[in-house]
Amino acid sequence: MKEMLQKHKQYLLTGVSHVIPFIACGGILIAASLAYAFHFHYVNAHGGPDISQCPPFVQDLALIGGKAFELFPAVLAGFIAYGMAGKPGLVPGFIGGLIAGMPQVVGDKNASAGFLGALVIGLIAGHIVNLLKKLPVPKFFKPVMPIIIIPIFSAVPVGLLMLALDMPIAKIMVGMGHVLENLQGGSQILLAMILGAMIAFDMGGPINKAAFFFGAAMIDQHNYAIMGACAAAICTPPLGLGLATVLSRKRWTEEQRESGLAALGMGLIGITEGAIPFAAGDPFRVIPCIMFGSMVASTIAMVGGVGDHAPHGGPIVLPVVDGRIMYVVAIVAGAFTTALAINSVKKFTEKTSHLEGAKS
Amino acid sequence: MKIVAVTACPTGIAHTYMAAEQLEKTAKKLGHSIKVETQGAMGIENKLTESEINSAAVAILAVDIAIEEPERFDHIRKIKVPVQAAMKNPEAIFTGI
Repeated sequence: MKEMLQKHKQYLLTGVSHVIPFIACGGILIAASLAYAFHFHYVNAHGGPDISQCPPFVQDLALIGGKAFELFPAVLAGFIAYGMAGKPGLVPGFIGGLIAGMPQVVGDKNASAGFLGALVIGLIAGHIVNLLKKLPVPKFFKPVMPIIIIPIFSAVPVGLLMLALDMPIAKIMVGMGHVLENLQGGSQILLAMILGAMIAFDMGGPINKAAFFFGAAMIDQHNYAIMGACAAAICTPPLGLGLATVLSRKRWTEEQRESGLAALGMGLIGITEGAIPFAAGDPFRVIPCIMFGSMVASTIAMVGGVGDHAPHGGPIVLPVVDGRIMYVVAIVAGAFTTALAINSVKKFTEKTSHLEGAKS
Repeated sequence: MKIVAVTACPTGIAHTYMAAEQLEKTAKKLGHSIKVETQGAMGIENKLTESEINSAAVAILAVDIAIEEPERFDHIRKIKVPVQAAMKNPEAIFTGI
């Protein structure tokens, strides 16, 4: 049972790994065109950015980004099925995912089965192809299997199933959106804290990606707060550790101070992995401290109403963030929390003189 | 001992390469010869040839995702570990050979 779950996690991550560049491309292009519209006051009656008034080139950028997003569920489901069943998985996976991305009208809202539908249908497509592969067929029939039989006999059931699931899953997505929008006070803070802890825990590993991907998928559903909280949490581990080496130089070795500078650079461009050189040598002190710092950052961002339109984090996405002041506050607070925490933990657990301690 | 290895993590920009480096370092330290293929966001790099795979005693697959062209390793003994294991405790993988 455990092995089966492990394998399915691997299939899902295969899909995620192929879809991340698509989300990044789409998110950044759309965010850039929205930022342009906003900056040059191409706004609609409600004061929101209106792409349709922008110059043609900006409209094209938004359209290209939109196409990358449109491919998102298809690529996700396609490569989940590919991870599971190899090449023959691509056809039912892509078709199922494309159907999952079809717009549905739920009440007064436009929605789609989106990423949730794509996850489900990708796995189902993989299983169906693997079943078809096992069919005993005479030898002369073998060449027809991968190019005619498997594509058709997997695409049809997968397609029909996804058409049937589109509406129910779209309703779940809308429901989830409602829950997230109506989160206030305690539960909002709790969600932000969990996301922050997940982002920092393995610094770019599978747990970090789960939280990140949730935020990125919510952008597709027009909820930017989740990614806002993630974006602030993403950069504080490397920023905080880099800051710690600057604040209290004597507590760190020459080598660590050098990686501290590299970590600051990586933090600025939102690469959590920059914290790894520190955590690898000293996980039990470093990981709790960076988790604490990221939780502070994500909570401040969430409560402060920060929204992020691009699936990326760190100061580099500042131009496409809503609530920029609170975003900066969240990052600075998170980074200082991390830095002060790790320096004081080191102070209590390492033999240092009073003079060295005074600097932090 | 001749060893081949593949590393692949979901994002494919950092962990994949860090794990590859750790495997190379550790193999050198323990006196093995190793070639590590990385399957990151850039696709397959430092690709293992068929003869390299065939002449190796074991293949270490430090992967969190399904890899490209897995059938190349059908006829060779495989050790499969998460990417994290290759980064944090590479020696344990080699003692398990």
